[in-house]
Parts: sequence; C-alpha cells; structure tokens
Amino acid sequence: MVQINFARREVNCKIVYYGPGLSGKTTNLEKVHEFAPKEHCGKLTSIATEGDRTLFFDFMPLNIGTVAGMNTKFQLYTVPGQTFYESTRRLVLQGADGVVFVADSQKDKFDENLESFENLRRNLKENGLSIEELPLVIQYNKRDLPNIVDVKTLDKALNADGRPYFEGVAVKGTGVMQTLKAVSGMVLETLNTRHRKTRRRPTPDTSAIEAARDAGKTATKEWTQPGPQLIGAGTRTARAAAGSARSAATPQTRRTDGHSRQDIRRGVPGEAFPSRADTSRFPRTGDRRPLNTDTAGRDTRTIQRFEQKKTNGIWIAAAVTVGAAAALVGLLLVLFS
Amino acid sequence: MRTEDKLRNNRLVFYEKDIKRIDRVLEEFLKLSGAKLALLVDREGHLVTRQGAPVEFDMDSVSALVAGSFAATREMAHCLGEDEFSIMFHQGKKDSIQLTLVGDRTLLGIVFDENTTIGMVRLYAQEASRRLTDIFEKSDRENREETPMEQGFANDAKDKLNDILGE
Repeated sequence: MVQINFARREVNCKIVYYGPGLSGKTTNLEKVHEFAPKEHCGKLTSIATEGDRTLFFDFMPLNIGTVAGMNTKFQLYTVPGQTFYESTRRLVLQGADGVVFVADSQKDKFDENLESFENLRRNLKENGLSIEELPLVIQYNKRDLPNIVDVKTLDKALNADGRPYFEGVAVKGTGVMQTLKAVSGMVLETLNTRHRKTRRRPTPDTSAIEAARDAGKTATKEWTQPGPQLIGAGTRTARAAAGSARSAATPQTRRTDGHSRQDIRRGVPGEAFPSRADTSRFPRTGDRRPLNTDTAGRDTRTIQRFEQKKTNGIWIAAAVTVGAAAALVGLLLVLFS
Repeated sequence: MRTEDKLRNNRLVFYEKDIKRIDRVLEEFLKLSGAKLALLVDREGHLVTRQGAPVEFDMDSVSALVAGSFAATREMAHCLGEDEFSIMFHQGKKDSIQLTLVGDRTLLGIVFDENTTIGMVRLYAQEASRRLTDIFEKSDRENREETPMEQGFANDAKDKLNDILGE
C-alpha cells in the first residue's frame, strides 16, 4: 500500500521479491545494496537463520531522492522461499505495491517455480490483491548454470499474462538493476493512475498548487477540522504486565553457495527534541523528573517505607507498654491476694 | 465495493494537518508517560511520524521490523483463537519497547528506559491510542478532496531511478 505523507513530504512504496527457496531473492537485494550509490541505500536488514536462510524477511530501503517535492522511497523486501514458511510469506506480501518473481532456471527447480508462482497468486488473493492488477516482473535467474530450462519454456509456464521478464545472474549482478527499475517504474505508473482515478472532484484552488509547483515546492491541502477532543487522562487503571518475545528455532537447510549476507550499519542522524505543548489540562504538569521522586529529588517510595516502619514501631511500642502494664497489674493482684 | 473505494483503500494518505494533530498527541504522551520516543508506523512498515529524543538507529529498518513483528504476533494470536494481540512488549537491559495497535492501520511504538515504568507507559499509551484512533476516524469521515501528485511525477521518478541504478 503506497503511503503518501504530505507532512514528511514522502512517498513510500513496497516491493516484494518472491520465489522458491534459494532462487536468488536475497542475492538480488544484496547486489542492489552493493551497486547502488551508498547515499541512496539504507541498511540491509536480514532476519535469517544461522545457515543464512531467510527466516522472516530481508529488508532494504532505497531512497531515490526528491521527486516533485516528495522524497520517494522504495522499501524492498524478500520472503522466505522455503515451503514451511507459508504464513510468513503471506505476512510479508501484505500491502505490496509491486512484486518481483525470482525464478530458478535450473531444470530440477522447474516444478518448484510453478508451485511458488501459484502460491504467490493464492497469497495475494488472501491479502485482497489480484495478481492480474499488481505490478509484477519476472526474473529468470541463474542463467549461467548448466542444466537450465530455456527462457521460452519458462516464460510459457510462468508468464501467461505476458509480464516483463529479465534473464539474470544475480550473484554477478546481471539483470538485477533492470528488474528493479522495471518493477519500480510500473509501481510509479500505478501511483499516478490511482491518483487520477480517485479524485472525487477537481481541486478548486489549483492556482495555489501551480504557484507552489513553480516555486519548486509541494502544495499540500490541509484539513479544516478542529483539533482533537481531549480525553480525560489518568482515568484508567494501569495494568502492569511484562512479556518477552522469543524467536522459534526451526531446523534449517544451510546455504551451500557460500554467499554470506552483508550487515552494514549506517546511523541516521535524528532530529531535535520537539517543543513542549501546553499540558495544563492534564493531571501532571509535564515535568520530566523521574517517577517516584518528589520535587526535592528524594525517592518517595523510600520515604513511604520509612513512614510505614515508623508507624508500625509506634504501634508495637504501645502494645508492649499495654502488655507490660497488664502483667504488672496481674502480678500485684497475685501478691496482694 | 466500488472501484474508486477499492483504490482509495489501497493507499494511505497523511495530510500535514493530520500529522500536526498526531504529533501533539505524541508530545503530550511523552511528557506524561516519561517515555523517550514515540513512533507511529503503518502496518506496511512505513514511518508516519515520530516524536521524542534524537535517535542513532535507522528509522526505516526499525519501522519495518516493528510492522513485521506485529504481523507475526497477529498470526500467533490467530493460532490461539484471538483476533489480535493489541499490545506487545520487549524488555531490554536499558531500553524497552512497547507496541500498541492504533485503529486498523497503524502501530504506536514507544521506547522507554528506567526513568519510567511499564505501567505508566501502558496507562498513557491507551489514552494516546484512543485519541489517535479518533483522529483517524474523523479523517476517514471527512469528505475531502485528493491532493493531486505533481504532473509527470512517475516520469521524473523513473529518470531518478535511471540515474541511481544505471540506464
């Protein structure tokens, strides 16, 4: 699902690499990360097993820069290809704006390709997407290996709709960029089409937009709705509970191509802390002192414990005094009787 | 569903005024709860907005992981016969993160440390989530016009792609 954020001046699109296990989906992402200019690539994140097989997804943001005043980004994902990660594949496919199907050209993988393509069709449908409407590009990968199926046969089996396709040798980077450019272009075209179709009526004040466009800025249409209603804060009881997440370990098939993943960290500088808003209508005054401290910085929990002990001590002393007095009276009565 | 409605549902548009209101809610939430950072992420893993302390991590990656993590948890909920787990919590040695579902399409990620407690964060997160849901519901009800993308946006973007990825 394309996200258009006029406040952040951003357009975000999601592209998913799909295909059978070990067909080269992750390698495609690695090569994009390797060959694209560093200033346009974010960190390549892999949630993989020790055997370098994708467990959940690989992810890499590709920022193509400012287009018509909007910072345009593609979020590139891969799915785990192995059969038993069916539900994970469906999750990653959610909200996809475009799909690259990476097919393995080897003869013994032919059936796996067909099965995976059908799986793609089924999972898209379950996510409310149609394979016929979604931008889709096919890459016939591993064209440098012996015992491969010819492209014509592959295309006949997988590409009945006549989608754009590319021959690739992903480990060498061949066909990787062309594939990505093709699917990205199709997504961008769809974005324009969708916008045109979904406009309910012409924008009345086009002069402002034109003027902003001329000035190289993006015109934005703001809401006229009043601010949000305040909801009484502090009226609900906090439920203290803690949980922890644990990833499940599953027996894996190790990669055999010796192609390890990259893990390049690149820090993104943050923004300044926002200015404080008026919080006078809330129960607390907006100060940021640590919890359970008073204005003098003393730990209120310690003070409370001390007060409690003091109270308990007074009661114990009183009880002991009363007891001693009773014992004394008893003793005197015994003596005088 | 009409084609127009279907296409409308196929994307998320956030307008500047929406974000300003969301930011105000997040600011107040941070002050009240004592948390460090609040991120609003859509279910596809795109960052909508954020408030709080400066960060050194890659925000795009964290947003994607937040969405992925939540999606996986939802599957787990389905396996247990629940529709959804609306809150997730990961505890670290110094920092912890709580993820709260906001409406149907967004997630609120809250990073906090030992200066506050999970109870305080959870208390105010419920309030913040409710207020943010209100904002989204109001925005959905509002019969507003689409702000058109610039003419030729796709072609300009494709030219940029060619520059970056090569002809």
